[in-house]
Amino acid sequence: MALPVLICDDSILARKQVRKSLPDTFDAEFQTAGNGMEALAVLRSQEIGLVFLDLTMPELDGIGVLEAIKTEAIDCFVIVISADIQPEMQKRVMELGALAFVQKPVSEDKINGVLKQYGFI
Amino acid sequence: MSHAMLSSPVLAQLNSGVIVVDDEYNIHYLNTFIERHGNLQLAEVAGKSLFSVFADLPEAWLKRKLMSVLDLKTPAFSSWEQRQYIFKLPHLRPITSSSQYMAQNCTMLPLDTGVHEQPLICILIEDATDAFVYQQHLSRTLIELEKANRQDGLTKVQNRRYWEEQLKQEIHRAQRYQHSLSLILFDLDKFKDLNDKYGHLGGDFVLVELSSFIGSLLRDSDLLGRYGGEEFGIILPDTGLEGAEEVAERICRAVADYPMLFNQQTIRATLSIGVAEFEPKQHFLHDDLIRCADMALYNAKRSGRNRVCCYQAGETDYHKKAN
Amino acid sequence: MNKLGFSEEQRDCLQEIINVAMGLASDKLARFLNTFVHLQVPSIALVGAMHIPEEFENRYQDAEAALVSQGFFGDEGVRGEAIVLYQMENAHKISALLGYEPGDVSEIEMLTDISSILTTTFLNGLASQIENSLSYSAPRILSSRHGNVADVLKNTSFHWEHALKVDISYQLIDHSFNCDMILLIPGEAVTNIKHILDRILEAY
Repeated sequence: MALPVLICDDSILARKQVRKSLPDTFDAEFQTAGNGMEALAVLRSQEIGLVFLDLTMPELDGIGVLEAIKTEAIDCFVIVISADIQPEMQKRVMELGALAFVQKPVSEDKINGVLKQYGFI
Repeated sequence: MSHAMLSSPVLAQLNSGVIVVDDEYNIHYLNTFIERHGNLQLAEVAGKSLFSVFADLPEAWLKRKLMSVLDLKTPAFSSWEQRQYIFKLPHLRPITSSSQYMAQNCTMLPLDTGVHEQPLICILIEDATDAFVYQQHLSRTLIELEKANRQDGLTKVQNRRYWEEQLKQEIHRAQRYQHSLSLILFDLDKFKDLNDKYGHLGGDFVLVELSSFIGSLLRDSDLLGRYGGEEFGIILPDTGLEGAEEVAERICRAVADYPMLFNQQTIRATLSIGVAEFEPKQHFLHDDLIRCADMALYNAKRSGRNRVCCYQAGETDYHKKAN
Repeated sequence: MNKLGFSEEQRDCLQEIINVAMGLASDKLARFLNTFVHLQVPSIALVGAMHIPEEFENRYQDAEAALVSQGFFGDEGVRGEAIVLYQMENAHKISALLGYEPGDVSEIEMLTDISSILTTTFLNGLASQIENSLSYSAPRILSSRHGNVADVLKNTSFHWEHALKVDISYQLIDHSFNCDMILLIPGEAVTNIKHILDRILEAY
C-alpha cells in the first residue's frame, strides 16, 4: 500500500526538489503544505506516514510543527530538511522527535541514504 | 595540486607574488617573483613552515586570516592601506621611493583540491608601492594645503577666518568647562607713517618681524592671528583679565624696546593694546568678546597709544575720537 | 518585484536559493565563530537602484553606521556589487566573536573582515546552488562613522539599474547582530540570472 507522505515547505521549488529526489521505487501518495499551519491541518485530519519538513517558514515554522506533533501525539515520522544544520539545531530537532536531518539543497543521494537507513525503501 | 601545474611559465613571469601553503602552513610553492624578491629558492623552502621561512610575519594575525580561509572556504584580503606590508620584501623603486619595503595588497584564496586532498591556500601578493608613494605625496600635499588655508600669507600667523574659528571653539570650551578665557587685540601705532617713511616693503617687513617676535613671547596654547591690515588678536585660554593684562604689558614694552633693522635703517614701532575677559553672562557670541576688546583698544589709542587698556565691565560704547 | 520582470515562479526560486544560501552561511559562521547563529528568513526585493538611498536613510540616520562594498563576478554573466550596512555598535560585538582584541587591528580592517566574511559565505552558498563560482574584489569601506549613509549610497548606486535588496538579520546566541545586505546588480546581469532561474525551474 502506498505510504501517505506530506512535503511541507514554503517554496514550490523546494517541494519539487524533494519530490524529484525520491526514487521511483518509493511507493507513496504525496500531499503538500506551504507552511506549518497548513501542515498541521493535514496532520490533524489524515493519517500521514512520513513528513518532509522545512524549518524556516512563515505562519508557523518547522520547530512549531514538531512541537505540535509532540504535544498532540500525532503518529508520523518526520525528516527535517534545512540548509542550516548547526549542531545546536540538529540537537533541538532530534529532541523534538525528528527522525533525521537532511541539508538543503537536497539531492537523490542524500534523500535515498536517509530513506534506506530507516527502511522506507 | 601538481607542481607541474603550479610552475607554469605564466606564474614564473607574473609580476605578483604567489605562495601556496597547506593547512599546516607549510610551503608547497612560491613563484619566481617571491624567489627573487625574497632571495629564496623553492627547492630549499618547500615543505618548511611559512613562519620559519618568513620570520617577520605577523603570525597570530595571519593565522587568523588563513584559518578563516580554510574553515569558510572564502577568500580573505589585506590592503596596504591598513597594513603596509605582510611580507618584508624589497620593492622595485629602490631609488625613487622613501619606503623601505614593498607595500602590498594580499589576497588569500582557498584552492579547490577536492574532498580527499589536503586543503591548500594561495596567497597572492601584489606590489602596491606606487599607490603607497602617491598616497604619501597626496597626504603631504593635503597637510600643506590645510596649513596654507589657515595661515596669513604674509605674516604666517593664523589668518582671520581660522583665528575666528579658534575663538569660537575656545569660547565653547570655556563655557563648557567653566575655564577663564581672555582676548587681546592690538594695533600698530601710526602704521600709515611707517609705510610712508619706509615704503610698503618696509611696512610689510615690520608686520612680519613683529608677528614672529610677539609669537615668541607667547605660550604654546595662546593663539595669535592677523585680524585685519595692522590689527592682530591673541586668544589666551585659561587666562583671566589680570593674567592677560600682564601678558599685554609685557608685549607692549618688549615691542617698544625692539629695534628692527631694515635696509640699514633701524625701525621702531609701538602698539596700542586692548584686553577683555570672556564673561559667560554677557558674551553670547564671539563677536561680543571681540567688540569689548576692540573698545579697550580704542581707549588705548585715545589715551595716547603705546599702552594697554582693559575693558571695564559696563562700558557699552566706543569713546569717540580715536587714532 | 513582478513589475521588474520576475515571474512568480522565478521569485519563489530565487527566494529559496537565497534562503538556502543564508542557511549554509549561518551554518558555516556558527561553526567558525563557535556560537549558535539564528537566521530569520531574509526578505528580498528587486528595486530600482535609485530608490535604495531613501530606504536606508531612516534606519541608519542616528547611529554610527558603516558601509562596506565588495564586487563579485562569476560565470554566465553573473556579477554585481554587495554592500553590507551595519551599525558600529554591532561591528564591535562581532569583532569580539571573531577573536579580535581591542586595538588588535584597525577599525577599518575589522569592518572589512566582518563584511567580507558575511558576503562571501553567503554568495558562495548562492553560487554553489546555481552551479557557478564567484570571484571577489577586495572589500572597500564606503563610509564609516560620521558619513551620511544616504549620500554615500546615492553616489554608489547611480550607475546600477537594479538592486536586489536582501534584508538579513543574524542573531547570535548571546548577542543580536543585525545588518543589511544589498546586492547591486546591473540590468544585463539580472537577465542572466533570470535565465539561470528558468533553467533550474525546467529541471524540476
